[in-house]
Parts: sequence; structure tokens; C-alpha cells
Amino acid sequence: MKLKSGNKDLDDEELIQLLNRAKFNDSRALGTLCAHFYSKIYRFIYYRVNAVEDAEDLTSEVCLRVVKSIHEQKGSFYAWIFRIASNMITDHYRRRVVRSNVESVGESIEEMVDAGSRQSELIEQQELRQALRRLTEEQQEVIVLKFIEGYETDEIAGMLGKSAGAVRAIQFRALTALRNMSDMEKFIEEDRKI
Amino acid sequence: MERDIELLLDNCINEMRKGKSIYECIAEHPQYASQLQPLLRLVQKIETLPQPEPAPEAISGTLINLGHHIAQHSTTTEKPTAVEKLRKKSSIFNIIRRPKIAWAFSAAFLFLVVLFSAATISANSVPGDILYPLKLATEKVKFLLTFNSEKKAELRLTFSDKRLQEMIAVFQQSGKLDTTLLKEMLDEAKLALEENKIPIDKASIFAAKLSHVNAYQKDVLEKIRPRVNPSNRRIVDEAINMCDSRSRWMRRMMNEENEISPDSSAPDSTGSPQQMPRSKQKSNRWQWGPGCDWMR
Repeated sequence: MKLKSGNKDLDDEELIQLLNRAKFNDSRALGTLCAHFYSKIYRFIYYRVNAVEDAEDLTSEVCLRVVKSIHEQKGSFYAWIFRIASNMITDHYRRRVVRSNVESVGESIEEMVDAGSRQSELIEQQELRQALRRLTEEQQEVIVLKFIEGYETDEIAGMLGKSAGAVRAIQFRALTALRNMSDMEKFIEEDRKI
Repeated sequence: MERDIELLLDNCINEMRKGKSIYECIAEHPQYASQLQPLLRLVQKIETLPQPEPAPEAISGTLINLGHHIAQHSTTTEKPTAVEKLRKKSSIFNIIRRPKIAWAFSAAFLFLVVLFSAATISANSVPGDILYPLKLATEKVKFLLTFNSEKKAELRLTFSDKRLQEMIAVFQQSGKLDTTLLKEMLDEAKLALEENKIPIDKASIFAAKLSHVNAYQKDVLEKIRPRVNPSNRRIVDEAINMCDSRSRWMRRMMNEENEISPDSSAPDSTGSPQQMPRSKQKSNRWQWGPGCDWMR
């Protein structure tokens, strides 16, 4: 099993120094911050909107928002930036008609075929992503941050402004909801056979 | 109960991250195995989802956009210093950019151009012309804006000469003598003489000018006298006498000055100050001015 450790290539001290410089309009610090968080934000958004172009556009908007309002940033930077991303996604769904799932999945499959994945795995991944999107916003956030981005429960609690217990409860309810979905049953059953 | 399983699930996920298998995890909590196992399998499935990476072009494009934004932001929102704020507020260019102020400036500029043009044209006007009052007003303004005594005296002489020219013009046009202009000509010359703050080093030059002006006025008046209406001849004669007296008085003043040595303030061989002309004894100023006996 491949478990992720959260891509923590910036320690707290480095992050604080970057933030302090960025708040004084240091363009290099702002660029470094955005470049560092771009991939994380992109994945977070991608799993919520399930479309490459939308994910890129929204990630770009998040970076711009970060630069514009970096002076107002207080508390955890991770919590702040993921909150911005989450709000962007909400606004995105509010202001435009969401592309059909078929189109989005089609694009995603195409990309992944290019990456050399097998067709059956791609279909499974597609179904799993569709199932994830049927969760509540809060549950999606926790699942993506925990299992895609690899953050610890305490870190997620800090990002979402919740207690660790609340995050564990959301995580449990999200996984239970997924298990109860009819199309998820086969994964569990197949694995049981193994 | 639910809290327990939430915590157990989280612990199992952490343990799996450290390398344990699902079976090792649930073996420690057999009473929850049936609940935990499907959830942990789902976790495994979710974690196998690919981590989509953004296209490098998307990242570079975003960074370029941010660069533009930062550059604009730094030039437009850089906080000005107090001095810069003051400069910005007081800058004439910023003020005249406002439409109303710009309109007012344009109107004022146009007014000044018209006024200057009218004043220039009015320079040749004579009594009776529309622009003559403007000519007199311009002279008054010019005199009020002159603060140097020597320049003021020079202006008086100029005005006196202008009155003479106007009087001649009126006489040539109508054949009549304008006695008001004649009186003003003499008054201006008298006022020039009464300007008593001329420095001593320039007094002799001014006295020469005044003497010349008076002599010239006397000559002009003598030339027009035969053509003047007999009833006005007496006035002209009085004016001629006045100019003549003034001219002679000025010449006498200059002669007295020439009689003393160039270094008049230096003591002579006896140690006493040299004799100064009576008009210069009390101070270093010429003793002309209001009340001076210049008609003697």
C-alpha cells in the first residue's frame, strides 16, 4: 500500500519566512509560495471539479487571490489557502453549468491512457471518483486532504477549523457512505475474495 | 461506541501508513473487524487514485500572470510618503486635470490674453477713445506694481511724455488744446520730481533726464503755441514758463554737483568735510521732493 506523507518539503520556519517576505510584496517569495502550493491546490480542486481545464483555471484564481490578500492572512497558512480553494470551488459551481460527468470522465480517461494505465483500472478509478463526488462538500474535503494529499488528521483539523474528533467523525461518515453506495460494493467484495 | 470506532479507524489508517497491513490492524480489534475491514479497503482504493499533476505550462502561465499582477500592484498601490502626498496634492498638473479647474484655468488664460491684447492696442488711444480708460488703468496698475523709487520716477516721466503725445494728437485731430492733458503732463513731471528716494549715485542721471524732458516739453509747447486758440495761449505760456523753470532748476542742481570733487564724502586737507550743495547737505539724498523750492 502506497501511503503519502504530505509533500512537506517546506518546514514551518521556511514557510514563515516566505510568508513574511510575501507580505512585503516580495515577488520572489510570492512566486515560490504559489509554485509550491500549486500542485496541492490543483489536486484538491481537480478531485472536486473533475475537469483539467476547470482545475487549472481555478488553481490560477486561487493563486491570484492569495497574492491579492496575502496581507490579510492570519493563522495557519494551509488552512487559509485550502479555505480559499474550497470557496472558489463553491463559487465555481454556483456561477456556471457543470460539465457533464461523461465529458469530464472522458477527458480524464484520455489523459490517463496517455500515462500508460490499464483500461480496467481506469474504469475503477473513474467510478471511485464519481462516488467521491456524491459525498458532501465537507466529506470530499476531508477525503481528498487525507487520502490524496496525505495530511494527518490534526493538520486537516487545523485547515478546516475543526477539532480532530470532528474530522475523524467526518472521515468515518464519508467512508461509511462510500461503502453503502451500490457501485462500491464490488471493490469491497472483490478484495474480500483476495 | 461510534466515537470509539472513529478513533480506531483513524488509528488503523495511521498504522497502515507506517507499513502495517489491514489484517494486522483489524487483528488488534477483532470486535470491530467487520466494520473496519471494508472501510480500510476503501481507503486503500482511494489512495491508489492517481495524483494528477498540473501541466507545467499551466504553472508557468499562472506565475507569469502573478508577475504582471505584482508589478502592477507595486506601482499602483505603493504607499506614498508624506512629502510625496503633499507634492501630489499641491501639484498644479494634478489640479488642472480636474475638468472644472481646467475650464477655469482656460477661461482665466483667455481673459488675460484678451486683456493684454486690449492693453497693447489701447497704448495709442487718446481721450474719447473706448480703450483710453483701459490705458489709464493699465498705467495705474503698472505704477502700483512698481516698488523701486527710481523706476517710479521714471514711470512718472513716461506718463508725462504720454500726456504730451496725446495732447498733440488731439490738437492735430481737432485743432483744440486739451488743457486737462496739459495739466496732467505738468503734474506727472512734478510728481516725478517729488519722488525723493532716489539714491544719490543715480540722482544726477535722473536730474539730466528730467531737465531734458522739461526742455523738450517747453519746445513742443512753443511750437504749437501760435496755432492755439488765443483764449488758451495764456495757459500755454504758463506751462512753457513752468517747463523752462524746471529745466533751468535741474541744470543748476547738476552744475552745483559738478562743482564738488568726485569723492565728496572724503575730508579735505583741514580734516573737515567738503562743502556739499545745499540740496544735498542734510543727507545722501537729493533734497527735492514735496515742498522743495524747485521753482526758484
